Amino acid sequence: MLETLGIHFPSLLIYLINFLLVLGLLLLFAYRPILRLMDQRADRIRESLEASERAREEAASSQEAVEAQLVEARREAQRIVEQARESAERFRAEEMERARSEADNFVSRARADIQRERDAAIEEVRANFGDLAITAAERVVRRSLDRQAHEELIAQVLEEGESLRRG
Amino acid sequence: MNRGILLFGLLVVVALAVAGLITGAIGAGLTQSEEDKAAGQTAEGPFIPKPAVHLPAQVVGPVGAREHYVEFLHAEHKEREYGEEKLDEHAHEVLDEGPYQGNDFIITNTLLSSWIASIILVGVFVIGARRAQLVPGRFQNFCEIVIEGLLRFVEGVVGQARARLLFPVIASIFLFVVINAWIGLLPIYPSLGFITDGIVEIHLLRPAGTDINMPLALALVSFVFVEFLGLRMLGIGYLGKFIRVRSLGRGLSALFRFKLLDAFQGLLDFFFVGPLEAFSEFVRLISFTFRLFGNMTAGEILVLVSAFLVPFIATVGVYGLELLVGFIQGLIFAGLTLVFAAIAMTAHEHEEHEEHH
Repeated sequence: MLETLGIHFPSLLIYLINFLLVLGLLLLFAYRPILRLMDQRADRIRESLEASERAREEAASSQEAVEAQLVEARREAQRIVEQARESAERFRAEEMERARSEADNFVSRARADIQRERDAAIEEVRANFGDLAITAAERVVRRSLDRQAHEELIAQVLEEGESLRRG
Repeated sequence: MNRGILLFGLLVVVALAVAGLITGAIGAGLTQSEEDKAAGQTAEGPFIPKPAVHLPAQVVGPVGAREHYVEFLHAEHKEREYGEEKLDEHAHEVLDEGPYQGNDFIITNTLLSSWIASIILVGVFVIGARRAQLVPGRFQNFCEIVIEGLLRFVEGVVGQARARLLFPVIASIFLFVVINAWIGLLPIYPSLGFITDGIVEIHLLRPAGTDINMPLALALVSFVFVEFLGLRMLGIGYLGKFIRVRSLGRGLSALFRFKLLDAFQGLLDFFFVGPLEAFSEFVRLISFTFRLFGNMTAGEILVLVSAFLVPFIATVGVYGLELLVGFIQGLIFAGLTLVFAAIAMTAHEHEEHEEHH
């Protein structure tokens, strides 16, 4: 019965050896190198994915840092401008204050000068008063003097002088 | 223009079908004369003679063995035609010796085909792997797709940790079966051979799956592989599946305590289930062998018969079917080996686990 089916021991042996040879050759020269290569590629892809992930995270964090710096700088600039404006304001106020006080000084000095001038003028007028009296007397004398008119004249002149002094 | 091509193709197909029907055995049968029909003669078309299927592989070399095989064929033919009494002494001798003349090494047409298939298989993958680079080319890509697909298949059954261990044998079985099946569909297979009396009597090539020795060799590899893995993974405890000492002990102790049902269970487990398990391992050998052998042989016969009945056209459909059958047989052979290996590596652990409860 084995014969009719064609079972033949030497052929069976050859098929066995044949298959095992194919298996060995494929294992050594095909499966191992190709699988190793595929593993390498998988590792490589995984690594590069991780690296790119890391790089992206780094980029994101550095971006954050840059933004923080930018905000800081802006705030600093704001502060500086504020400071400058403040000091300018202060300077202007001081300047105005000084100018005003100077002007005040000037005015008061001028006023004092004027006072002094006026006093001096009054002094001078007063000094000239005798001459004035004499002149007035001469004028009276030139006319026919009587006693009563004489006295009235003197009082009048005196009064004039007084009012002059009072200003 | 597209429609023109389609129409032309359809026309060609119809013409081939008509020609096939007329010139094939079916047409010949319709036009056969009444006397021939009455004589029970087979109707034959003018192109394709009635196919002869030889179950055992034919011998193509060495020359002595082939001559003996031819003599055997003729003696067999005579015996069939004229009866045993008419044979001369030499024919009797030849018939007694059998087709292969004892246990000499011979080259059969299936063996030759399997060598060609092996060379193609190894060649393709070695070339694919030799120029392998991290960035694959097209050819390398093809090899990698095949290998990766098979690896995923193995991983799907036994998991990633054990897949690398099982992969080489499983993949080789699959590739070997598939290549051997597909290579047999090449048109040179039925047409090359040694001619006697104007017809090809001994074919030079024949798909290796149709020689029972090839499936048997693969089944043996599969069997040894499965048992080896079982022993390697579970140690000597693997044999406990077949020789159930534990059940025997349990049964005997139950017997002494007159717990007859438990005793019966234990003894049945030892004397019946254990041997049955062992027997089933060996039955796999036979089922593996005849599944592949039967499918490949049936495929060959189907191609021959379809070409005989309706030449030119019916074979095309059968070829498509045979491509599928070759692939599926490879998948089944590899897949069953894989599943049996997975069972051998794990099944016993489960049983012990249950016993602890």
